[in-house]
Amino acid sequence: MIQLINVSKTYPNGTDVLYNINLNIGKEEFVFVVGPSGAGKTTLMKLLYRDEKASSGKVIVDKVDVSALTPDQVPYLRRNIGIVFQDYKLLPKRTVFENVAFALRVTGAPRSSIRRKVMQALELVGMLRRANAFPDELSGGEKQRACIARAIVNAPPILLADEPTGNLDPTTSWDIIQLLDKINKRNTTVIVSTHNKSIVDDMKRRVVAIENGRIVRDQMLGGYNV
Amino acid sequence: MFNNLEFFIVEALRSFRRGALMTVVAIGTITVTLVIFGVFLLLVVNLGNIVGNVSSGLDISAYVDQPITLEQAGAMQLELSKISGVQKVDFISRDEAWKKFKEDFSDQLEIGEIVQDNPLPHTFIVKVRTPDLIAPVAKIVSQKPGISNVRYSGKLIEQMKALVSAVRVGGSILVILVTIATLLIVVNTIRLTVLARETDIYIMKLVGATNTFVKYPFIIEGVLIGIIGGVLSFLVLKVSYDSLAFQVSTTLPFLPIVTNGFVLGVIYIIMVLLGSILGMLGAYISVSRVLKAEF
Repeated sequence: MIQLINVSKTYPNGTDVLYNINLNIGKEEFVFVVGPSGAGKTTLMKLLYRDEKASSGKVIVDKVDVSALTPDQVPYLRRNIGIVFQDYKLLPKRTVFENVAFALRVTGAPRSSIRRKVMQALELVGMLRRANAFPDELSGGEKQRACIARAIVNAPPILLADEPTGNLDPTTSWDIIQLLDKINKRNTTVIVSTHNKSIVDDMKRRVVAIENGRIVRDQMLGGYNV
Repeated sequence: MFNNLEFFIVEALRSFRRGALMTVVAIGTITVTLVIFGVFLLLVVNLGNIVGNVSSGLDISAYVDQPITLEQAGAMQLELSKISGVQKVDFISRDEAWKKFKEDFSDQLEIGEIVQDNPLPHTFIVKVRTPDLIAPVAKIVSQKPGISNVRYSGKLIEQMKALVSAVRVGGSILVILVTIATLLIVVNTIRLTVLARETDIYIMKLVGATNTFVKYPFIIEGVLIGIIGGVLSFLVLKVSYDSLAFQVSTTLPFLPIVTNGFVLGVIYIIMVLLGSILGMLGAYISVSRVLKAEF
Protein backbone atom coordinates (compact mmCIF):
# COMPACT_ATOMS: atom_id res chain seq x y z
CA MET A 1 0.00 0.00 0.00
CA ILE A 2 2.74 2.42 0.99
CA GLN A 3 6.35 2.17 -0.09
CA LEU A 4 9.26 4.49 0.54
CA ILE A 5 12.41 3.75 -1.45
CA ASN A 6 15.67 5.52 -0.54
CA VAL A 7 13.77 8.64 0.46
CA SER A 8 15.65 11.67 1.74
CA LYS A 9 14.32 15.09 2.58
CA THR A 10 16.31 18.28 2.90
CA TYR A 11 14.43 21.52 3.49
CA PRO A 12 15.31 24.52 1.31
CA ASN A 13 17.11 26.16 4.24
CA GLY A 14 19.54 23.23 4.25
CA THR A 15 18.18 21.28 7.23
CA ASP A 16 18.32 17.54 6.64
CA VAL A 17 15.27 15.79 8.07
CA LEU A 18 15.16 12.29 6.62
CA TYR A 19 18.00 10.14 5.32
CA ASN A 20 17.63 7.22 3.02
CA ILE A 21 14.31 5.92 4.36
CA ASN A 22 13.12 2.51 3.16
CA LEU A 23 9.71 1.43 4.39
CA ASN A 24 6.97 -0.92 3.26
CA ILE A 25 3.48 -0.82 4.73
CA GLY A 26 0.92 -3.34 3.56
CA LYS A 27 -2.81 -3.05 3.06
CA GLU A 28 -4.89 -2.70 6.25
CA GLU A 29 -1.83 -2.63 8.51
CA PHE A 30 -1.73 -0.62 11.73
CA VAL A 31 1.65 1.02 12.24
CA PHE A 32 3.05 3.25 14.96
CA VAL A 33 5.78 5.67 13.97
CA VAL A 34 7.64 6.59 17.16
CA GLY A 35 10.56 8.76 18.10
CA PRO A 36 11.48 11.96 19.90
CA SER A 37 10.22 15.36 18.75
CA GLY A 38 12.13 16.59 15.73
CA ALA A 39 13.09 13.06 14.64
CA GLY A 40 11.24 13.48 11.33
CA LYS A 41 7.89 11.78 12.04
CA THR A 42 5.76 14.68 10.84
CA THR A 43 7.87 15.14 7.72
CA LEU A 44 7.48 11.44 6.95
CA MET A 45 3.69 11.82 7.16
CA LYS A 46 3.73 14.97 5.05
CA LEU A 47 5.62 13.16 2.29
CA LEU A 48 2.75 10.67 2.05
CA TYR A 49 0.05 13.27 1.37
CA ARG A 50 2.40 15.50 -0.61
CA ASP A 51 2.40 18.41 1.78
CA GLU A 52 6.15 18.05 1.31
CA LYS A 53 8.03 16.65 -1.63
CA ALA A 54 10.88 14.15 -1.19
CA SER A 55 14.29 15.57 -2.15
CA SER A 56 15.28 12.17 -3.53
CA GLY A 57 13.89 8.65 -3.67
CA LYS A 58 10.38 7.38 -4.39
CA VAL A 59 7.24 7.68 -2.29
CA ILE A 60 4.61 5.27 -3.55
CA VAL A 61 1.06 5.41 -2.19
CA ASP A 62 -1.52 3.00 -3.56
CA LYS A 63 0.71 2.24 -6.60
CA VAL A 64 1.16 5.93 -7.43
CA ASP A 65 4.53 7.69 -7.26
CA VAL A 66 3.51 10.65 -5.13
CA SER A 67 6.66 12.70 -5.80
CA ALA A 68 5.93 12.57 -9.54
CA LEU A 69 2.41 13.99 -9.25
CA THR A 70 1.67 17.37 -10.81
CA PRO A 71 -0.02 19.95 -8.54
CA ASP A 72 -3.28 19.26 -10.39
CA GLN A 73 -3.18 15.60 -9.41
CA VAL A 74 -2.41 16.10 -5.70
CA PRO A 75 -6.07 16.73 -4.67
CA TYR A 76 -7.05 13.30 -5.99
CA LEU A 77 -4.25 11.65 -3.98
CA ARG A 78 -5.52 13.38 -0.85
CA ARG A 79 -9.06 12.13 -1.34
CA ASN A 80 -7.62 8.66 -0.75
CA ILE A 81 -5.91 9.65 2.48
CA GLY A 82 -7.66 10.74 5.65
CA ILE A 83 -5.55 12.98 7.87
CA VAL A 84 -5.89 13.49 11.62
CA PHE A 85 -3.95 16.34 13.25
CA GLN A 86 -2.69 16.95 16.75
CA ASP A 87 -4.35 20.40 16.70
CA TYR A 88 -7.52 19.06 14.98
CA LYS A 89 -7.66 21.87 12.35
CA LEU A 90 -11.42 22.22 12.57
CA LEU A 91 -13.01 25.30 11.02
CA PRO A 92 -14.04 27.36 14.06
CA LYS A 93 -17.15 29.00 12.61
CA ARG A 94 -18.74 25.78 11.44
CA THR A 95 -20.54 23.08 13.39
CA VAL A 96 -19.21 19.55 13.70
CA PHE A 97 -21.63 18.47 10.99
CA GLU A 98 -20.50 21.25 8.64
CA ASN A 99 -16.84 20.51 9.29
CA VAL A 100 -17.29 16.88 8.34
CA ALA A 101 -19.56 17.70 5.41
CA PHE A 102 -16.97 20.21 4.18
CA ALA A 103 -14.56 17.39 3.32
CA LEU A 104 -17.22 15.84 1.12
CA ARG A 105 -18.42 19.06 -0.45
CA VAL A 106 -14.98 20.11 -1.65
CA THR A 107 -14.73 16.85 -3.54
CA GLY A 108 -17.96 17.74 -5.32
CA ALA A 109 -19.95 14.90 -3.77
CA PRO A 110 -23.67 14.95 -4.57
CA ARG A 111 -25.67 16.64 -1.90
CA SER A 112 -28.08 13.78 -1.41
CA SER A 113 -25.36 11.44 -0.19
CA ILE A 114 -23.54 13.97 1.98
CA ARG A 115 -25.96 13.97 4.88
CA ARG A 116 -26.11 10.20 5.08
CA LYS A 117 -22.30 9.79 4.92
CA VAL A 118 -21.67 12.51 7.50
CA MET A 119 -24.15 10.92 9.88
CA GLN A 120 -22.53 7.52 9.45
CA ALA A 121 -19.08 8.95 10.15
CA LEU A 122 -20.33 10.84 13.21
CA GLU A 123 -22.00 7.70 14.50
CA LEU A 124 -18.82 5.69 14.05
CA VAL A 125 -16.80 8.17 16.16
CA GLY A 126 -19.61 8.59 18.69
CA MET A 127 -20.30 12.25 17.92
CA LEU A 128 -23.85 12.04 16.60
CA ARG A 129 -25.37 14.00 19.46
CA ARG A 130 -22.70 16.73 19.17
CA ALA A 131 -23.34 17.26 15.44
CA ASN A 132 -24.62 20.81 15.85
CA ALA A 133 -21.96 21.99 18.32
CA PHE A 134 -19.23 24.42 17.32
CA PRO A 135 -15.58 23.41 17.86
CA ASP A 136 -15.06 25.77 20.81
CA GLU A 137 -17.92 24.07 22.64
CA LEU A 138 -16.15 20.71 22.43
CA SER A 139 -13.65 19.01 24.73
CA GLY A 140 -10.25 18.00 23.31
CA GLY A 141 -11.37 14.40 22.88
CA GLU A 142 -14.55 15.47 21.08
CA LYS A 143 -12.58 17.74 18.75
CA GLN A 144 -10.32 14.84 17.89
CA ARG A 145 -13.34 12.63 17.23
CA ALA A 146 -14.77 15.28 14.92
CA CYS A 147 -11.41 15.49 13.16
CA ILE A 148 -11.36 11.70 12.73
CA ALA A 149 -14.92 11.76 11.38
CA ARG A 150 -13.83 14.31 8.79
CA ALA A 151 -10.83 12.16 7.87
CA ILE A 152 -12.87 9.01 7.28
CA VAL A 153 -16.13 10.43 5.87
CA ASN A 154 -14.76 9.92 2.38
CA ALA A 155 -13.97 6.24 3.21
CA PRO A 156 -10.30 6.56 2.26
CA PRO A 157 -8.15 3.40 2.18
CA ILE A 158 -5.45 5.13 4.24
CA LEU A 159 -5.69 7.07 7.50
CA LEU A 160 -2.73 9.12 8.77
CA ALA A 161 -2.77 10.40 12.34
CA ASP A 162 0.04 12.76 13.32
CA GLU A 163 0.34 12.84 17.13
CA PRO A 164 -3.44 12.41 17.53
CA THR A 165 -3.18 12.16 21.30
CA GLY A 166 -0.59 14.91 21.76
CA ASN A 167 -3.04 17.31 23.41
CA LEU A 168 -5.18 14.76 25.28
CA ASP A 169 -5.22 13.25 28.76
CA PRO A 170 -4.36 9.51 29.12
CA THR A 171 -7.94 8.20 29.28
CA THR A 172 -9.10 10.22 26.29
CA SER A 173 -5.93 9.27 24.42
CA TRP A 174 -6.75 5.64 24.96
CA ASP A 175 -10.30 6.15 23.63
CA ILE A 176 -8.94 7.82 20.52
CA ILE A 177 -6.46 5.00 19.87
CA GLN A 178 -9.28 2.46 20.31
CA LEU A 179 -11.26 4.42 17.73
CA LEU A 180 -8.34 4.34 15.28
CA ASP A 181 -8.05 0.60 15.90
CA LYS A 182 -11.75 0.20 15.11
CA ILE A 183 -11.28 2.10 11.86
CA ASN A 184 -8.29 -0.12 11.02
CA LYS A 185 -10.51 -3.19 11.44
CA ARG A 186 -12.86 -1.68 8.83
CA ASN A 187 -10.20 -2.31 6.19
CA THR A 188 -8.26 0.93 6.48
CA THR A 189 -4.50 1.20 6.59
CA VAL A 190 -3.70 3.28 9.67
CA ILE A 191 -0.41 5.03 10.44
CA VAL A 192 -0.11 6.78 13.79
CA SER A 193 2.86 8.89 14.77
CA THR A 194 3.21 9.30 18.52
CA HIS A 195 5.55 9.53 21.44
CA ASN A 196 2.99 8.13 23.85
CA LYS A 197 4.89 5.19 25.30
CA SER A 198 2.10 3.46 27.23
CA ILE A 199 -0.23 3.36 24.25
CA VAL A 200 2.38 1.86 21.96
CA ASP A 201 3.36 -0.71 24.58
CA ASP A 202 -0.26 -1.71 25.28
CA MET A 203 -1.35 -1.98 21.65
CA LYS A 204 1.45 -4.36 20.58
CA ARG A 205 1.41 -3.40 16.92
CA ARG A 206 4.09 -2.83 14.33
CA VAL A 207 6.47 -0.08 15.48
CA VAL A 208 8.74 1.97 13.23
CA ALA A 209 11.19 4.01 15.30
CA ILE A 210 12.83 7.09 13.85
CA GLU A 211 15.79 8.92 15.34
CA ASN A 212 17.63 11.82 13.71
CA GLY A 213 15.93 11.17 10.40
CA ARG A 214 16.79 7.48 10.18
CA ILE A 215 14.71 4.35 10.79
CA VAL A 216 16.45 2.70 13.72
CA ARG A 217 13.94 -0.10 14.30
CA ASP A 218 11.02 -1.75 12.51
CA GLN A 219 9.39 -4.36 14.68
CA MET A 220 6.19 -6.37 14.49
CA LEU A 221 4.20 -6.48 17.76
CA GLY A 222 6.70 -4.03 19.20
CA GLY A 223 6.87 -1.70 22.16
CA TYR A 224 8.00 1.90 22.39
CA ASN A 225 11.52 0.84 23.40
CA VAL A 226 13.47 -2.24 22.39
CA MET B 1 -21.74 21.39 -11.26
CA PHE B 2 -25.08 22.86 -10.19
CA ASN B 3 -24.60 21.21 -6.84
CA ASN B 4 -21.16 22.85 -6.57
CA LEU B 5 -22.43 26.21 -7.74
CA GLU B 6 -24.69 26.40 -4.73
CA PHE B 7 -21.72 25.58 -2.50
CA PHE B 8 -19.59 28.28 -4.16
CA ILE B 9 -22.26 30.92 -3.71
CA VAL B 10 -22.90 29.99 -0.09
CA GLU B 11 -19.16 30.07 0.63
CA ALA B 12 -18.79 33.41 -1.17
CA LEU B 13 -21.60 34.99 0.86
CA ARG B 14 -20.16 33.56 4.07
CA SER B 15 -16.77 35.10 3.33
CA PHE B 16 -18.42 38.32 2.16
CA ARG B 17 -20.12 38.74 5.54
CA ARG B 18 -17.07 37.74 7.52
CA GLY B 19 -14.53 40.04 5.88
CA ALA B 20 -16.77 43.07 6.43
CA LEU B 21 -14.08 45.77 6.65
CA MET B 22 -11.99 44.52 3.74
CA THR B 23 -15.12 44.10 1.68
CA VAL B 24 -16.13 47.71 2.34
CA VAL B 25 -12.64 48.91 1.37
CA ALA B 26 -12.72 46.94 -1.87
CA ILE B 27 -16.20 48.19 -2.75
CA GLY B 28 -15.16 51.78 -1.99
CA THR B 29 -12.08 51.52 -4.19
CA ILE B 30 -14.00 50.18 -7.13
CA THR B 31 -16.73 52.78 -6.67
CA VAL B 32 -14.25 55.69 -6.72
CA THR B 33 -12.50 54.42 -9.84
CA LEU B 34 -15.72 53.83 -11.68
CA VAL B 35 -16.97 57.32 -10.83
CA ILE B 36 -13.76 58.78 -12.32
CA PHE B 37 -14.20 56.54 -15.33
CA GLY B 38 -17.84 57.55 -15.74
CA VAL B 39 -17.10 61.28 -15.38
CA PHE B 40 -14.56 60.96 -18.16
CA LEU B 41 -16.99 59.14 -20.45
CA LEU B 42 -19.68 61.76 -19.83
CA LEU B 43 -17.17 64.55 -20.53
CA VAL B 44 -16.15 63.07 -23.86
CA VAL B 45 -19.74 62.40 -24.92
CA ASN B 46 -20.75 65.96 -24.05
CA LEU B 47 -17.80 67.65 -25.73
CA GLY B 48 -18.45 65.60 -28.84
CA ASN B 49 -22.06 66.65 -28.74
CA ILE B 50 -21.18 70.35 -28.44
CA VAL B 51 -18.77 70.18 -31.37
CA GLY B 52 -21.32 68.28 -33.41
CA ASN B 53 -23.94 70.94 -32.77
CA VAL B 54 -21.67 73.88 -33.51
CA SER B 55 -20.09 72.48 -36.66
CA SER B 56 -23.47 71.76 -38.17
CA GLY B 57 -23.45 75.49 -38.91
CA LEU B 58 -20.85 75.98 -41.63
CA ASP B 59 -22.36 79.39 -42.00
CA ILE B 60 -20.96 82.84 -42.59
CA SER B 61 -23.25 85.71 -41.73
CA ALA B 62 -22.66 88.77 -43.91
CA TYR B 63 -24.38 91.99 -42.79
CA VAL B 64 -25.54 94.93 -44.90
CA ASP B 65 -26.08 98.06 -42.80
CA GLN B 66 -27.59 100.25 -45.50
CA PRO B 67 -31.04 100.19 -47.03
CA ILE B 68 -31.17 98.08 -50.24
CA THR B 69 -33.96 97.14 -52.63
CA LEU B 70 -35.01 93.58 -53.27
CA GLU B 71 -33.36 93.72 -56.73
CA GLN B 72 -30.07 94.84 -55.24
CA ALA B 73 -30.33 92.05 -52.73
CA GLY B 74 -30.94 89.55 -55.52
CA ALA B 75 -27.89 90.75 -57.43
CA MET B 76 -25.70 90.53 -54.35
CA GLN B 77 -27.00 87.05 -53.55
CA LEU B 78 -26.05 85.91 -57.09
CA GLU B 79 -22.61 87.45 -56.81
CA LEU B 80 -21.92 85.84 -53.45
CA SER B 81 -23.01 82.40 -54.71
CA LYS B 82 -20.39 82.63 -57.48
CA ILE B 83 -17.51 82.58 -54.96
CA SER B 84 -15.82 79.18 -55.17
CA GLY B 85 -16.53 76.90 -52.20
CA VAL B 86 -19.92 78.42 -51.57
CA GLN B 87 -22.76 75.95 -51.49
CA LYS B 88 -25.74 78.14 -50.91
CA VAL B 89 -26.62 81.75 -50.12
CA ASP B 90 -29.80 82.79 -48.31
CA PHE B 91 -31.06 86.32 -47.86
CA ILE B 92 -32.81 87.37 -44.70
CA SER B 93 -34.24 90.88 -44.82
CA ARG B 94 -34.06 92.96 -41.68
CA ASP B 95 -37.86 92.80 -41.36
CA GLU B 96 -37.83 89.00 -41.48
CA ALA B 97 -34.99 88.85 -39.00
CA TRP B 98 -36.77 91.18 -36.62
CA LYS B 99 -39.98 89.20 -36.84
CA LYS B 100 -38.14 85.91 -36.15
CA PHE B 101 -36.17 87.47 -33.31
CA LYS B 102 -39.34 88.71 -31.64
CA GLU B 103 -40.96 85.30 -32.07
CA ASP B 104 -37.96 83.47 -30.59
CA PHE B 105 -37.83 85.59 -27.49
CA SER B 106 -41.49 86.45 -27.13
CA ASP B 107 -41.91 84.28 -24.06
CA GLN B 108 -38.92 85.82 -22.29
CA LEU B 109 -39.33 89.52 -22.78
CA GLU B 110 -41.40 92.06 -24.66
CA ILE B 111 -38.74 93.40 -26.99
CA GLY B 112 -41.27 95.52 -28.82
CA GLU B 113 -41.80 97.48 -25.64
CA ILE B 114 -38.13 98.21 -25.14
CA VAL B 115 -36.97 98.83 -28.69
CA GLN B 116 -39.42 100.43 -31.08
CA ASP B 117 -37.25 100.54 -34.20
CA ASN B 118 -35.83 97.47 -35.85
CA PRO B 119 -32.11 97.47 -34.95
CA LEU B 120 -31.17 94.52 -37.18
CA PRO B 121 -29.32 94.69 -40.53
CA HIS B 122 -30.08 92.74 -43.72
CA THR B 123 -28.21 89.44 -43.62
CA PHE B 124 -26.82 87.01 -46.19
CA ILE B 125 -26.25 83.50 -44.83
CA VAL B 126 -23.39 82.03 -46.87
CA LYS B 127 -23.04 78.27 -46.48
CA VAL B 128 -19.67 76.73 -47.45
CA ARG B 129 -18.93 73.11 -48.34
CA THR B 130 -16.25 72.27 -45.75
CA PRO B 131 -15.14 73.83 -42.45
CA ASP B 132 -11.69 74.83 -43.76
CA LEU B 133 -13.33 76.95 -46.49
CA ILE B 134 -15.01 79.21 -43.96
CA ALA B 135 -12.08 81.55 -43.29
CA PRO B 136 -11.00 82.21 -46.95
CA VAL B 137 -14.59 82.57 -48.19
CA ALA B 138 -15.41 84.94 -45.34
CA LYS B 139 -12.48 87.12 -46.35
CA ILE B 140 -13.69 87.38 -49.97
CA VAL B 141 -17.26 88.05 -48.81
CA SER B 142 -16.14 90.86 -46.53
CA GLN B 143 -14.46 92.67 -49.48
CA LYS B 144 -17.63 92.71 -51.57
CA PRO B 145 -19.25 96.12 -51.92
CA GLY B 146 -22.20 96.72 -49.63
CA ILE B 147 -21.07 94.16 -47.04
CA SER B 148 -20.29 95.92 -43.79
CA ASN B 149 -19.45 93.08 -41.50
CA VAL B 150 -18.84 89.29 -41.53
CA ARG B 151 -19.26 86.74 -38.70
CA TYR B 152 -18.37 83.05 -38.54
CA SER B 153 -17.53 80.47 -35.90
CA GLY B 154 -14.82 78.56 -37.79
CA LYS B 155 -11.99 79.15 -35.39
CA LEU B 156 -14.07 78.02 -32.46
CA ILE B 157 -14.93 74.79 -34.26
CA GLU B 158 -11.28 74.01 -34.95
CA GLN B 159 -10.36 74.67 -31.36
CA MET B 160 -13.22 72.54 -30.05
CA LYS B 161 -12.22 69.68 -32.31
CA ALA B 162 -8.63 69.84 -31.06
CA LEU B 163 -9.91 69.93 -27.49
CA VAL B 164 -12.13 66.90 -28.00
CA SER B 165 -9.36 64.81 -29.51
CA ALA B 166 -7.01 65.88 -26.73
CA VAL B 167 -9.59 64.88 -24.15
CA ARG B 168 -10.09 61.55 -25.92
CA VAL B 169 -6.39 60.67 -26.04
CA GLY B 170 -5.50 62.05 -22.62
CA GLY B 171 -8.63 60.63 -21.07
CA SER B 172 -8.06 57.18 -22.52
CA ILE B 173 -4.55 57.10 -21.04
CA LEU B 174 -5.94 58.34 -17.74
CA VAL B 175 -8.67 55.69 -17.71
CA ILE B 176 -6.19 52.91 -18.51
CA LEU B 177 -3.90 54.07 -15.69
CA VAL B 178 -6.77 54.40 -13.23
CA THR B 179 -8.09 50.98 -14.23
CA ILE B 180 -4.68 49.36 -13.68
CA ALA B 181 -4.31 51.15 -10.34
CA THR B 182 -7.75 49.94 -9.26
CA LEU B 183 -6.97 46.42 -10.34
CA LEU B 184 -3.81 46.47 -8.20
CA ILE B 185 -5.69 47.85 -5.22
CA VAL B 186 -8.52 45.35 -5.64
CA VAL B 187 -6.01 42.50 -6.01
CA ASN B 188 -4.32 43.47 -2.77
CA THR B 189 -7.55 44.10 -0.92
CA ILE B 190 -9.00 40.74 -1.88
CA ARG B 191 -5.62 39.18 -1.10
CA LEU B 192 -6.13 40.24 2.48
CA THR B 193 -9.50 38.50 2.58
CA VAL B 194 -7.86 35.44 1.04
CA LEU B 195 -5.02 35.48 3.56
CA ALA B 196 -7.55 35.87 6.38
CA ARG B 197 -8.97 32.54 5.25
CA GLU B 198 -5.62 30.81 4.90
CA THR B 199 -6.50 28.08 7.40
CA ASP B 200 -9.73 27.37 5.56
CA ILE B 201 -7.85 27.11 2.29
CA TYR B 202 -5.20 24.88 3.85
CA ILE B 203 -7.86 22.54 5.22
CA MET B 204 -9.72 22.55 1.91
CA LYS B 205 -6.50 21.57 0.17
CA LEU B 206 -5.77 18.83 2.72
CA VAL B 207 -9.15 17.20 2.29
CA GLY B 208 -8.60 17.11 -1.46
CA ALA B 209 -10.11 20.27 -2.91
CA THR B 210 -8.73 21.27 -6.30
CA ASN B 211 -7.37 24.78 -6.80
CA THR B 212 -10.30 25.57 -9.05
CA PHE B 213 -12.67 24.57 -6.30
CA VAL B 214 -10.88 26.80 -3.79
CA LYS B 215 -10.90 29.73 -6.22
CA TYR B 216 -14.58 29.85 -7.19
CA PRO B 217 -16.02 31.25 -3.95
CA PHE B 218 -13.43 34.03 -3.99
CA ILE B 219 -14.15 34.85 -7.62
CA ILE B 220 -17.88 35.02 -6.93
CA GLU B 221 -17.13 37.24 -3.95
CA GLY B 222 -15.03 39.45 -6.25
CA VAL B 223 -17.81 39.72 -8.82
CA LEU B 224 -20.26 40.59 -6.04
CA ILE B 225 -17.94 43.32 -4.73
CA GLY B 226 -17.51 44.63 -8.29
CA ILE B 227 -21.23 44.72 -9.02
CA ILE B 228 -22.00 46.54 -5.76
CA GLY B 229 -19.19 49.03 -6.54
CA GLY B 230 -20.60 49.44 -10.04
CA VAL B 231 -24.15 50.06 -8.86
CA LEU B 232 -22.97 52.54 -6.19
CA SER B 233 -20.91 54.51 -8.70
CA PHE B 234 -23.87 54.46 -11.09
CA LEU B 235 -26.11 55.95 -8.40
CA VAL B 236 -23.53 58.60 -7.47
CA LEU B 237 -22.98 59.56 -11.08
CA LYS B 238 -26.63 59.50 -12.12
CA VAL B 239 -27.77 61.72 -9.26
CA SER B 240 -24.96 64.25 -9.78
CA TYR B 241 -25.20 64.26 -13.57
CA ASP B 242 -28.96 64.65 -13.61
CA SER B 243 -28.83 67.60 -11.24
CA LEU B 244 -25.92 69.12 -13.21
CA ALA B 245 -27.80 68.66 -16.48
CA PHE B 246 -30.83 70.35 -14.94
CA GLN B 247 -28.70 73.28 -13.72
CA VAL B 248 -27.06 73.70 -17.12
CA SER B 249 -30.31 73.49 -19.04
CA THR B 250 -31.82 76.27 -16.94
CA THR B 251 -28.82 78.61 -16.63
CA LEU B 252 -26.94 77.93 -19.89
CA PRO B 253 -29.72 76.77 -22.24
CA PHE B 254 -27.54 77.16 -25.38
CA LEU B 255 -25.08 74.43 -24.13
CA PRO B 256 -26.28 71.20 -25.72
CA ILE B 257 -25.80 68.81 -22.76
CA VAL B 258 -26.43 65.10 -23.43
CA THR B 259 -29.69 63.88 -21.89
CA ASN B 260 -30.26 60.99 -24.28
CA GLY B 261 -31.33 58.08 -22.07
CA PHE B 262 -29.84 55.47 -24.38
CA VAL B 263 -26.34 57.00 -24.47
CA LEU B 264 -26.34 57.50 -20.69
CA GLY B 265 -27.72 54.00 -20.15
CA VAL B 266 -24.87 52.51 -22.19
CA ILE B 267 -22.33 54.45 -20.11
CA TYR B 268 -23.89 53.25 -16.86
CA ILE B 269 -24.02 49.65 -18.05
CA ILE B 270 -20.35 49.84 -19.07
CA MET B 271 -19.52 51.06 -15.57
CA VAL B 272 -21.30 48.19 -13.80
CA LEU B 273 -19.77 45.65 -16.22
CA LEU B 274 -16.30 47.09 -15.71
CA GLY B 275 -16.87 46.90 -11.96
CA SER B 276 -17.73 43.22 -12.04
CA ILE B 277 -14.81 42.46 -14.37
CA LEU B 278 -12.42 44.33 -12.08
CA GLY B 279 -13.74 42.46 -9.04
CA MET B 280 -13.52 39.10 -10.77
CA LEU B 281 -10.04 39.70 -12.16
CA GLY B 282 -8.82 41.08 -8.84
CA ALA B 283 -10.09 38.04 -6.97
CA TYR B 284 -8.73 35.61 -9.54
CA ILE B 285 -5.25 37.14 -9.54
CA SER B 286 -5.01 37.39 -5.77
CA VAL B 287 -6.29 33.91 -4.98
CA SER B 288 -4.05 32.39 -7.66
CA ARG B 289 -1.05 34.19 -6.21
CA VAL B 290 -1.82 33.03 -2.69
CA LEU B 291 -2.39 29.43 -3.85
CA LYS B 292 0.86 29.47 -5.79
CA ALA B 293 2.88 30.97 -2.96
CA GLU B 294 1.47 29.02 -0.04
CA PHE B 295 0.31 25.63 -1.16
